[in-house]
Amino acid sequence: MRKISVLACLFFASLFSFSQSARLPEVDKSPLDISYYPNNYPVLKIQNKATEPLVARVLYSRPQKQGRKIFGELVEFGKVWRLGANEATEIEFYKDVKIGGRKVPKGRYTLYAIANENAWTIIINKDTDTWGAFKYDPKRDLLRTDVNVQKTEEPVESMSMWFDKTAGGIALNISWEQVRISLPITL
Amino acid sequence: MRKLLLILTPVFFFGCKESGEKPAASDIPPTKIDSQRIKVLPQVNHYTIPDRSPMDMIYFPTDYALLKMRGKTTSLPLMRVIYSRPQKQNRKIFGDLVKYNIPWRLGANEATEIEFFSTATIQDKKINPGRYIVYCIPQDTSWTFVFNSNLYSWGLEQNRQKDLMQFDAPVEKTNMPIEYFTIAFEKVNEKTTDVLFLWDDVKTKLTISF
Repeated sequence: MRKISVLACLFFASLFSFSQSARLPEVDKSPLDISYYPNNYPVLKIQNKATEPLVARVLYSRPQKQGRKIFGELVEFGKVWRLGANEATEIEFYKDVKIGGRKVPKGRYTLYAIANENAWTIIINKDTDTWGAFKYDPKRDLLRTDVNVQKTEEPVESMSMWFDKTAGGIALNISWEQVRISLPITL
Repeated sequence: MRKLLLILTPVFFFGCKESGEKPAASDIPPTKIDSQRIKVLPQVNHYTIPDRSPMDMIYFPTDYALLKMRGKTTSLPLMRVIYSRPQKQNRKIFGDLVKYNIPWRLGANEATEIEFFSTATIQDKKINPGRYIVYCIPQDTSWTFVFNSNLYSWGLEQNRQKDLMQFDAPVEKTNMPIEYFTIAFEKVNEKTTDVLFLWDDVKTKLTISF
């Protein structure tokens, strides 16, 4: 522990030592993460094991539960939520797909959600590279679709997003606390 | 001092999480080890496990997403970098963990991604708008930065046939070791920035103009 505190101090001091020349970014409390379909695509790619082309990736920051009640409290029901932390969550499709029966052209979008107790509304919006949902503009929506809430047995500490294959195509899964939702994507 | 402690807390957090693990820069997701602090659903796949070297993202102009949210910019961003941030953890980095003359992914996990939203110029060479991966070949006194088109690849292996252009930059030594590998923009003017690469006692930079 002592060693760690020395390290931490050194690290912190190092931030100060550069403060004259540049403001160095600190490490985020809610770290950024990325998920792909196919899962693990970058690893498969360098191992020449990818059997399908890259379809989608989601780029999001992962807040942690840390003993708090999340849904209905920290994430209020009925309000637009950035689906993560920090920058708005980004989803990119490398080919045209369909969500909620509507076409989503290949490209980069922002993903928001309106959480409720039994169902969430997932929003795909065309305004990218922004922070949170503070300036969310419904006029830039590409589409909205509703998905049912499923309950998980055990609480999930770090908010998680991942893709998997389904009968009708793929799904983007989102889980935090004891909530899991699954957004169907048709290829 | 109290404020300082508060600010330090997240650093301890990461520090503690890492302390018992065997250092390895070359891990791939299925073998990742979770910290004890975090409980996850066993049946949920490994993507629920936060990375040991967390990913980070920076824009130029710096904090572009925040500026946009606050209505302080109406123009498009100029560039964005997505990379993962390994930690020094008492190891000697350059010439040891990161070997000289061998390509290094400039981070951890996936190859570091750099995206230009406008035409960029580096050392008098023009680079078209678009997405690239960037890696370096470090040496004691200079690094070679390589832009490559093999997008969405894990950083352990470079496809040299997809190299597009390369740039040399001298190494500066810093007086305090940097714990987390850091890429940061140091603005020169509205259309020009230095991109700083800092880790351990090494600092290099590339100047990019738009």
